[in-house]
Amino acid sequence: MDAVLEERGGRRGPAPVRDLEGYRAATRARGELTAYVGMLVFLASWAMLFGGLFFAYALVRGRAPVWPPVGDPRLPLVLPGVNTAVIALSSGALQSALRSLRRGRPSPVAGALALAAGLGALFLALQVAVWIGVHRQGLVPSGGPYGSVFYALTSFHALHVLVGLVALAWLAVRASRGAYGAMRHVAVRLWAMYWHFVGAIWLVLYATVYLL
Amino acid sequence: MSALRRMAGAAAVLVAAAVRADPRPERGFGLPHDASLDGHRIDWLIHFTIVALGIVFLAVLGMLVYAAVRHRGAHVAAYDHGNTRKSALVVLGCVGIVVLVVDGNLFGHAVEDLNEHFWNFSKAEADPRAVRIEVNAHQWAWTVRYPGPDGRFNTADDIVETNGLHVPLGVPVILQLASTDVIHSLYLPNFRVKQDAVPGSITRLWFQGQEPGDFELACAQHCGPNHYKMRAVLSVMEPAAYAQWFADAQADARRGYDPDDAEAHWGWDWKRF
Amino acid sequence: MATHPAHLGHPDLQPIHPAPTSFARRYVFSLDHKVIAQQFLWAGLIFLLVGGTLAMLIRWQWAFPYRQVPVLGPLFLRSTGGVIGPANYQNIFTMHGLIMIFFAITPVLIGTFGNFLIPLQIGARDMAFPLLNMLSFWFFLVSQLLVIASFLVALGPAGAGWTGYPPLSTNIGMPGLGQTLVVLALFFTGVASTMGAINYITTVIRLRAPGMTYMRLPLTIWGLWFTAVLNALFVPVLGSAALLLFLDRTFGTQFFIAGAAAVRGGGDPIMYQHLFWIFGHPEVYILILPAWGIVGDVVSFFARKPAYWYKGSVYAMATVTVLSGVVYGHHMFVTGMSPLLGQGFMLLTLLISAPAMLLVFNWMFTVWRGSIRFTTPMLFALGTVFVFGLGGLTGLFLGDISLDLYLHDTMFVVGHFHFTMAAASFLGTMTGLYFWFPKIFGKRLDERLGKAHFWITVVGLTLVFGGQLLAGYAGQQRRLFDPFQYTFIQGLRGLNRWTSYFAFALFAGQFLFIWNFLRTVFGRAEAAGQNPWEVTTLEWTNTTSPPPYHDFDVIPEVRRGPHEFANPAVKEALGRDWIGQAEEMPEPPASEAGAAKA
Repeated sequence: MDAVLEERGGRRGPAPVRDLEGYRAATRARGELTAYVGMLVFLASWAMLFGGLFFAYALVRGRAPVWPPVGDPRLPLVLPGVNTAVIALSSGALQSALRSLRRGRPSPVAGALALAAGLGALFLALQVAVWIGVHRQGLVPSGGPYGSVFYALTSFHALHVLVGLVALAWLAVRASRGAYGAMRHVAVRLWAMYWHFVGAIWLVLYATVYLL
Repeated sequence: MSALRRMAGAAAVLVAAAVRADPRPERGFGLPHDASLDGHRIDWLIHFTIVALGIVFLAVLGMLVYAAVRHRGAHVAAYDHGNTRKSALVVLGCVGIVVLVVDGNLFGHAVEDLNEHFWNFSKAEADPRAVRIEVNAHQWAWTVRYPGPDGRFNTADDIVETNGLHVPLGVPVILQLASTDVIHSLYLPNFRVKQDAVPGSITRLWFQGQEPGDFELACAQHCGPNHYKMRAVLSVMEPAAYAQWFADAQADARRGYDPDDAEAHWGWDWKRF
Repeated sequence: MATHPAHLGHPDLQPIHPAPTSFARRYVFSLDHKVIAQQFLWAGLIFLLVGGTLAMLIRWQWAFPYRQVPVLGPLFLRSTGGVIGPANYQNIFTMHGLIMIFFAITPVLIGTFGNFLIPLQIGARDMAFPLLNMLSFWFFLVSQLLVIASFLVALGPAGAGWTGYPPLSTNIGMPGLGQTLVVLALFFTGVASTMGAINYITTVIRLRAPGMTYMRLPLTIWGLWFTAVLNALFVPVLGSAALLLFLDRTFGTQFFIAGAAAVRGGGDPIMYQHLFWIFGHPEVYILILPAWGIVGDVVSFFARKPAYWYKGSVYAMATVTVLSGVVYGHHMFVTGMSPLLGQGFMLLTLLISAPAMLLVFNWMFTVWRGSIRFTTPMLFALGTVFVFGLGGLTGLFLGDISLDLYLHDTMFVVGHFHFTMAAASFLGTMTGLYFWFPKIFGKRLDERLGKAHFWITVVGLTLVFGGQLLAGYAGQQRRLFDPFQYTFIQGLRGLNRWTSYFAFALFAGQFLFIWNFLRTVFGRAEAAGQNPWEVTTLEWTNTTSPPPYHDFDVIPEVRRGPHEFANPAVKEALGRDWIGQAEEMPEPPASEAGAAKA
């Protein structure tokens, strides 16, 4: 300990950094990996929340003698199917933005991010259309277990889409101002993890609520 | 006319309650008096476990107290990380013994107690003398329904009683429970049994009274402000007394029956599980 | 190792940021984990007092039913003339449970110790995500405010028990804003817990100092880390239950509404119990794991002896963590579940007692043949072992279905969880507070007051919760406004009254701690010194009391585990019975080549 203090001229504190560029890069790399680990834990938590909701859905459906219950309208398949394509394309756009960033070509990034956000908005618009449609056919949240499950799952998922698309739009704005580069795009990667997660939840939802 | 009939029925119940003896109080801190066929199994298991765990607890406590006294202060501590294989096996051995003896005993007895006795509904249902009663738990009283001579529930000859349950001595009594509002729980301390009454489902419970007398029936699941008053009295009766009660109650039921009172027909076909 | 920065060519990858200067950034909106820890501490201690007062109201009602409550009655129970009525009573026991679990023990045991200790004990300068850390406190504060708000609305706060079973907790049983506000409060505190958990998990994985391998972490960190894992995975399930209940209350959905109020088939109240207890059972382990970790370290520190079979303790905590999610059905044995499923849960529940027993044996063997210093933290640690032993063993009775048929929803359950949560978690919290107080505040608490506090508390807790166990054994149910309506309980009047007297004494005894704590924090007291307890972990050996804003001047390099006591080679080389985790062992003289290395 004394030898180290001596080297620093008696000052407390870490030794002065000699290779500042390398230090900054190493710190950033370490910080980025930390951010990804944190994001993974966050998504695991969120998966458990959706897991609880899907578990509830399974229990509700398991105890119903027939599903959908007698008197409840059937859910549409086309619009939600389109939505599946929309959200898949959106994830694709986001991935292409990431690829451009990694290859050091910043110009298509803002456009790709804006496209991803726009497709997200389209998803929401179509989801609203589905809600209006089934509502007209008499499916309401308070009308029994079928309506309860449908509206709870789809609206909770839609809320997550909304959060994601706002974030993507903001990222697109920042990208258009040149905020991201090959070595500086943690935020984009983090939100990409989130957005793909939301898409994966949609796949499960589409399969279990609409198809099955 | 129907209102008068209802009042007559209520008056009959009140009179019956007045002449009915109250359950006798318990003394001391022990388990409540056991009036059931199978309750002694639970009593035995509780007491065995108390003794076994008491020995374990006192042994560990004894070691801690001894260590506290013997190994305090100026004493030099032993340099032992306890990370040798032998140390690990000693600890695992201690744990293993307790788990095998106590946990194993608990598990084995519970499986037997449940499958052969407390949850052995096939045995109870198979008994030709078995009495079946439907219970409607609601805020904040117990309403019970006995099938009349036709043996079916929700028919004109059913006997319906509130906060009282009459059963004959020495035969299986099978209860099916339902609730119209919130979750309640039927608890018979003197029979060591309990079962929730859940809205939207039918649950069940069975017991057999081995001595005549009045025993308390309590609600054991918080169900609102008056949860504490949701008390009923179970009367286990000698065959003759029971027959007399049944006949009288039957007569009242016939007189009090009102086909237009939809709320009173809360019964259901006896559920086959 | 990925976290060892040496391979990146730089010894210290945690830059020192300049300390904030404004009052707001230093004490209110601080990113400093030590300040956030104190924020949780004060918020939690205040609500601990509130929760304790509510408990005193319950005990008053059982000792002196229908009598006006002194002082508090005229203040808070005006509508009933200062007397507790059945409607108030259900609010009191509901809020007592919720406040103690979510707003008292959680912020102090997990929020304070986690935030303060994790960076310091692993050799980091702060948490991985300081902004998220700050947000977690503010979300928590909002949830506390929602709880306070629920007391002020017309129909009072929640009243369906802390478990909030529907249909009682839906609009059928609990109309009004209070229950809804509490459901929202739960959601907010759940978000706060999850944010904290993300931080704790990531920080321990990513920011350990060079040489701090997983198997050199203090047991306290293991306890906090496993708690964080459970928090991250299972609090969201509570979130889903709370969300569905909120939807039922606000939008008329029918997840849990059944019976007469249901339309088209209706919901399933038992589904709520599944979701709730999938969270609820891990929650009780969330509340005890940090205490287990703290006790494991503290008994080693004050027995001056290594923690016995450290790895076994870590594996035991890991096993409990893994099993905690699959034992939850033991809360639902009498709901009508299939016997096969029930027996499966029973088997797992009985088995989860094994790792807990392993921990107790390890603590016992640590103390055995030690050189024990009976400081206040050591007393509290040993007290924790005692009450946890009692409480844990009573759990075995409840895990057995046939015994549970009799004991379910009796005071035996209440005694069991009070011994394990209110006693063991509480004493574990006190162990931590007395032990780390010097490091957090830079001063020493009064030892005599501390010891007096210990004795009153441990005797009081044992008598009060023992009284509950006895009442439950005699068959008294829980949550009864007036138990003596039942003939079979009337003989227990004396027991209930005496339990209440002991409870009042226990509550009064806590003022010893409050006085000691406030007087030392706000008054003048002797400076603590860097390492007054003479122990080995980084927060004691490598930084001041209290630590500076940046925690460590130099990130330490760790060379050994945290329980290196009584090593004869250390005694020979350094003249003391301990050596710090990051301390360099002087080279032995040439003539003793081959002498024991650390």
